[in-house]
Amino acid sequence: MSRSIWFVAEHQDGQLHRGAAELAAAARAVGDETVAVVCSAPGGTVAQQVAPFADRVLLVEDPSLEPYTAGIWAQAVVALAKEHAPAAILLPHAPLGRDLGPVLAARLEAGLMTDCIALEWDEGLVGKRSVLRRKLVARERVTTSIAVATCQRAAFSAVAAGEPGTVETVEPSIDAEAARTRFVAMERAEMGEENITEADVVVAGGRGLGDAEKFGVVQDLAAALGGVMGASRPVVDQGWVAHDRQIGSSGITVRPKLYFALGISGAVQHVVGMRESDVIVAINKDPQAPIFEYAHYGIADDLFKVVPALLAELES
Amino acid sequence: MRIAVCMKAVVEPQSRIELDGDGNLRREQLRYEVNEYDLYAVEEAIRLVDSNDGEVTVITLGTEGAVQGLRKGLAMGAADAIHIDCDPYALDPSGVAALLAAALREGAYDLVLAGVESDDLGGAQVGVLLAEELGYAATTLVVGTSAPSEGSMEVRRELEAGEHSTVEIQLPAVLTIQSGINEPRYPSLKGIMAAKRKELVEKTPADLGFAELPLPRVAALGLELPPPRELARMLEGSAEETAAELVRILREEERAL
Repeated sequence: MSRSIWFVAEHQDGQLHRGAAELAAAARAVGDETVAVVCSAPGGTVAQQVAPFADRVLLVEDPSLEPYTAGIWAQAVVALAKEHAPAAILLPHAPLGRDLGPVLAARLEAGLMTDCIALEWDEGLVGKRSVLRRKLVARERVTTSIAVATCQRAAFSAVAAGEPGTVETVEPSIDAEAARTRFVAMERAEMGEENITEADVVVAGGRGLGDAEKFGVVQDLAAALGGVMGASRPVVDQGWVAHDRQIGSSGITVRPKLYFALGISGAVQHVVGMRESDVIVAINKDPQAPIFEYAHYGIADDLFKVVPALLAELES
Repeated sequence: MRIAVCMKAVVEPQSRIELDGDGNLRREQLRYEVNEYDLYAVEEAIRLVDSNDGEVTVITLGTEGAVQGLRKGLAMGAADAIHIDCDPYALDPSGVAALLAAALREGAYDLVLAGVESDDLGGAQVGVLLAEELGYAATTLVVGTSAPSEGSMEVRRELEAGEHSTVEIQLPAVLTIQSGINEPRYPSLKGIMAAKRKELVEKTPADLGFAELPLPRVAALGLELPPPRELARMLEGSAEETAAELVRILREEERAL
């Protein structure tokens, strides 16, 4: 029997998320057939957008499917999965998959592996995930007949668009009245004047700065390099820097030509948002900080000494 | 309103992580601390009952570090605690959710809060699985709550790249709490003393109706060391020397300036 691997297509405002092509790659690596599941309001083009990345597209259309809520999407996907019994359902390890993945797993009585960085098929879906702050990699196998997995962003290289797969519209099996969550509103990010995702140079600061006042050195270096300031999550949580500056898994992904990490230890949540940068420089007092495993150049020293010296050097 | 908060003892980041000859984690070397995300959940629960009346129960499943975590929750202001004494490594997330649900079902909680994920294993699934076990609604990545009214409440969800959505959720519900939602309080000395007199109920899986532990749906196959990463080229010397060398490299070798 051929092995059918599904992925749930992520989309917003009518646009397919580019992560869909990564999920397609993950699906293709472990299955014979790649199926995209699209839940959308009638009249959209998401199914056509995702078709070049899948052998087949299952399209469920209903006005209640947009904007997204876990309850209604779960009803749609669970009904389809019960009917067609795929070998696995993949989702992004992102707000969509974190919300929907466990609901699907529970209702399908399926095992769920989250934040996978690699997948293979070996008598079942086998996934690898980083644990204990990336010090170890755990290998796991789902033992139920349907597997659910969420995949880390950027861990799988996106497949190129190919011949579009066939789009099949399926009858929705939805009881919108039964849903106990209701979408109220969406807040867009308030992007400042500077667009951090387009910047050639990003200078980011972390907890090692110590406090909000000292963040000025990050701004100074960014200004001297004609770049833009960024930050790691703890700094944003502390309120030192605005939310729209946060780089990492719950913030922005950047790929500048030059990235400076100042006082950033290198937690996985941060690293996934900057590791694709062309040149990465890390300055951190702790020579054991994991950020040095991602940086191309490292200085293990007091950043309050090194950054002023850098500013002087750049002026000369 | 009655709120339960799920807590977990996680491996301390400074613990020595080593594998033995058979590829098993040397567990005797591990030290534990409270999962940081759970402290945000405890704080949010206490704030909700402070402004809407009610009580907070903290619950954990585990062995080492488990009771210390509950004591911290009690010292922060929870009224009572439940400890399910069970080896967490013997369960997968669906098993943990099944046991937690068995312990919480009787309590008829309006709200169950949990951290978005654990800091050590990062599964990010027990909260929602628990909601499904209890038949509750669930929302994840919550960074803001509002006062419940007429059996529902509005919560703010963190999406990516600075975006947020607001969702109305019917109670009873499970919310997974993201860091930064509040500033968790430090327990006061008075709180710590009071915590010693609060009720801490001990339960075994058998007490909860599990003669045998639930079978895992995800089997652990093994642990391995991550592939070694190439370390950065480290620049040595005084601040002036390293700064000068870095600027030279970025200008001449990388042509990045």
